[in-house]
Amino acid sequence: MSKLTTGSFSIEDLESVQITINNIVGAAKEAAEAEEIGPMGPTPFPGLASYRDDWNLVLLDRYEPVITPMCDQCCYCTYGPCDLSNNKRGACGIDMAGHNGREFFLRVITGTACHAAHGRHLLDHLIETFGEDVPLDLGQSNVLTPNITITTGLSPKTLGELKPAMEHTEEQLTQLLATVHAGQESSEIDYDSKALFSGSLDHVGMEISDIVQIAALDFPKADPEAPLVEIGMGTIDKEKPFLCVIGHNVAGVTYMMDYMEENDLTDKMEIAGLCCTAIDLTRYKEADRRPPYAKVIGSMSKELKIIRSGMPDVIVVDEQCVRGDIVPEAQKLKIPVIASNAKIMYGLPNRDNQDVDATIEELKSGAIPGCVILDNEKLGELTIRLTQEMHPIRKAEGFREIPSDEQLKEWVDKCADCGACYLACPIELDIPEAMKFAKEGDYSYLEDLHDACVGCRRCEQVCKKEIPILSVIEKASQKLIAEEKGWMRAGRGQVSDAEIRAEGLNLVMGTTPGIIAIIGCPNYIGGSKDVYYIAEEFLKRNYIVAVTGCGAMDIGMYKDEDGKTLYEKYPGGFECGGLLNNGSCVSNAHITGAAEKVAGIFASRTMEGNLAEIADYTLSRVGACGLAWGAFSQKASSIGTGCNILGIPAVLGAHSSKYRRALIAKTYDESKWKVYDARNGEEMPIPPAPEFLLTTAETWQEAIPMMAKACIRPSDNSMGRSIKLTHWMELHEKYLGERPKDWWKFIRNEADLPLAKRADLLKVLEADHGWEIDWKKKKIISGPKIKFDVSAQPTNLKRLCKEA
Amino acid sequence: MVDTTKNTKLFTSYGVTTSKAINPDMAAKMISKAKRPLFVVGTGVLQPELLDRAVKIAKKANLPIAATGSSLPGFLDKDVDASYINLHQLGFYLTDPKWPGLDEKGNYDMVIVLGFKKYYINQVLSGTKNFSSVKAISIGRDYIQNATMSFGNISKEDNYAALDELIENL
Repeated sequence: MSKLTTGSFSIEDLESVQITINNIVGAAKEAAEAEEIGPMGPTPFPGLASYRDDWNLVLLDRYEPVITPMCDQCCYCTYGPCDLSNNKRGACGIDMAGHNGREFFLRVITGTACHAAHGRHLLDHLIETFGEDVPLDLGQSNVLTPNITITTGLSPKTLGELKPAMEHTEEQLTQLLATVHAGQESSEIDYDSKALFSGSLDHVGMEISDIVQIAALDFPKADPEAPLVEIGMGTIDKEKPFLCVIGHNVAGVTYMMDYMEENDLTDKMEIAGLCCTAIDLTRYKEADRRPPYAKVIGSMSKELKIIRSGMPDVIVVDEQCVRGDIVPEAQKLKIPVIASNAKIMYGLPNRDNQDVDATIEELKSGAIPGCVILDNEKLGELTIRLTQEMHPIRKAEGFREIPSDEQLKEWVDKCADCGACYLACPIELDIPEAMKFAKEGDYSYLEDLHDACVGCRRCEQVCKKEIPILSVIEKASQKLIAEEKGWMRAGRGQVSDAEIRAEGLNLVMGTTPGIIAIIGCPNYIGGSKDVYYIAEEFLKRNYIVAVTGCGAMDIGMYKDEDGKTLYEKYPGGFECGGLLNNGSCVSNAHITGAAEKVAGIFASRTMEGNLAEIADYTLSRVGACGLAWGAFSQKASSIGTGCNILGIPAVLGAHSSKYRRALIAKTYDESKWKVYDARNGEEMPIPPAPEFLLTTAETWQEAIPMMAKACIRPSDNSMGRSIKLTHWMELHEKYLGERPKDWWKFIRNEADLPLAKRADLLKVLEADHGWEIDWKKKKIISGPKIKFDVSAQPTNLKRLCKEA
Repeated sequence: MVDTTKNTKLFTSYGVTTSKAINPDMAAKMISKAKRPLFVVGTGVLQPELLDRAVKIAKKANLPIAATGSSLPGFLDKDVDASYINLHQLGFYLTDPKWPGLDEKGNYDMVIVLGFKKYYINQVLSGTKNFSSVKAISIGRDYIQNATMSFGNISKEDNYAALDELIENL
């Protein structure tokens, strides 16, 4: 009985009795574990301690947690608030380091829970709609679920077979959340180990979220030529009714799009969105390359801006990254708000059980500012019909105009130049200076603020004159906004096995200099063009650039002098110089999945239940580095931490120092830069790279050489090392003004030297570092502390060594 | 004299410990007394009015410069001892007594910071404040809570004048 996972049986002696078993919790896992499914690593279905000693503490020994508290105090329980400054212990006994380890860990499990809950919602919804047997058709791949497989050991092939992985993630999340309670875990290093574990689960939750929608909703399937999608506030046709969707969960939106198609409305109204729902609605039914009609407005930083523009006739929200003030802001412009997911209900009345006609009348009259509709069929019909009907009403009542020129002047003149907005602005925009010039009639300084402004409204909160500063900036930027039109490639989904086979050797040898993954939110330091500059620089140098989410959107907003976006200029495949948009935030699982596939497919490593070995391989051999330049959300912390446990370093923008934790190695401590040679278990020295797993950069110009350096790996062959050093040294010189001081630490022999500067660099090695050079043969005789051995097998895991 | 001790309102981090607001003459005195000071400059220092004063401070007090972010190009032709290092990395290394420093002569006992986004330097300095004995003096236009001593929130112009006074007093 307990071996049954699903099925039905009848009891013959009792007539008319039939018992149907849909699922026994735990039985699927048990059956999967018992099944002979080939080689299996040591950690299938891992628990809180499974990765701790074997891998996490190894990582954390080299990449030490750097604690930067947000607050001196702990305000967690009624013993406190306790002053923990100078690493003091509080009333419960926890110290500052432990408390901040908990604070960061809490962010990570929050992010993991968001993706896992998103995955659960989609899994249940799609199984209910399409059945359990929908095959996981994700493109030309045999390895369909790399993150699930290395975590659980399973290789599900249908929607139904994903249930054990989903259950495992949920079970471990409960265990992890329990450790946050007062009087539980208090060690900082163990919170970091738990955060890493949670990060790995996050990529399972994300993987489930994306593959179920790819399989069931016919999204592009590992498609390098997924269609181009219009992006930007300027793409919206103001003359058409406009339905604006915000959030991360596309389930409800598909019903709206179906209703539009069934009623021949796709060219008669606009449907566009912000954040990941927007990315995913442009993927819906796109596997057959139907011309997309859905548009993307942009990231979360545009939420308040698009509402204040007055353009949306109806707003639908689902979950995650949705502002808390959408209802009051929308109400000012008579825009009804529909909450379509139980995770955000805004205190609105539920109209699931009411007739659609009656609800439309209620909303049109303004009797209610919005409502909750969780019934997807009703949601599809109501939102489309309501948008059609609200459009002429709002137009007639003049709600479609942003403030007049006179109103703008009036607001600007009210400014008392107190400077409070500058102090409050998270981006430190010099709003007082721009207002000063605006008073003199020069609005260009205000216009300059538009791109950097994250639309948070903190300036308005502190303005004693109650000037709607965000609206002032947006009005002054009207022309700029109208021109905000770009192209983004619709999310292509996974990297196929064929692409991995074709590119794996180049990556492992280092001849493709690296994978640069640009992900995450819009809380940038200097404006959204930062990520465009970074992507362009690496694409020009033949790195593989993989993008997702808000970063993917912002990269598509800018054009070169010929009017082309990067998506139009570079191919969408996993290849040297390729620009892949994998999809929405949950598609980040495909980026880690690609690195895992290099180990599993290219290097034939066992993937099943074998996280540490796969991660060790990536850290040693696969030059990948993430960039979350505007990381803002808790999900960004879990995505990044998931990359870290898998051996992928990440550079974050300066705001992310507020996550309170980084993972940085001591480059000067030689004891940290040793690995084992798996052939015989002997220790071998390695260069100090990558020198961090998680850190922040101050400017995009600093981030570029940091990322190029982070792609250097101990196993690079000489040609690969030479190519990687060439790029890093050139980029360092280009952006930081001079040759890096520590380049020589990466040289094992003369073949490692960048080709174009070999003779010059040999002279430096001799003169500055005392290395012996045979000038006739142009060979290094002595000097390097690290040796190159083509057959060496560097590993951080002693158990993988033959002599172990 | 510019009063740089006014307006110490916080918009970055929170807690019971806040830095002592100081005037330029006191800042100059503290810098002069330090045994192993390090001048840490961020990318904001590339504004000409700040860059010129930063160079003068480094020369007059004979301070080595840790040029973080992308600020190094501003110092390459200025006859000062400037090296690039990432700020977060620097903040971490400052908490390690074994760090050999930028010149291999050991860790520092004081950092003087200028030219940063306030949220970034404040967050990095929360690490040095809680996990080291390194003193930090902020001489920018923003009040930095997690420094040991800091100017208050002042205008750009007052900041320039305060830096001129500091240079005079070094």
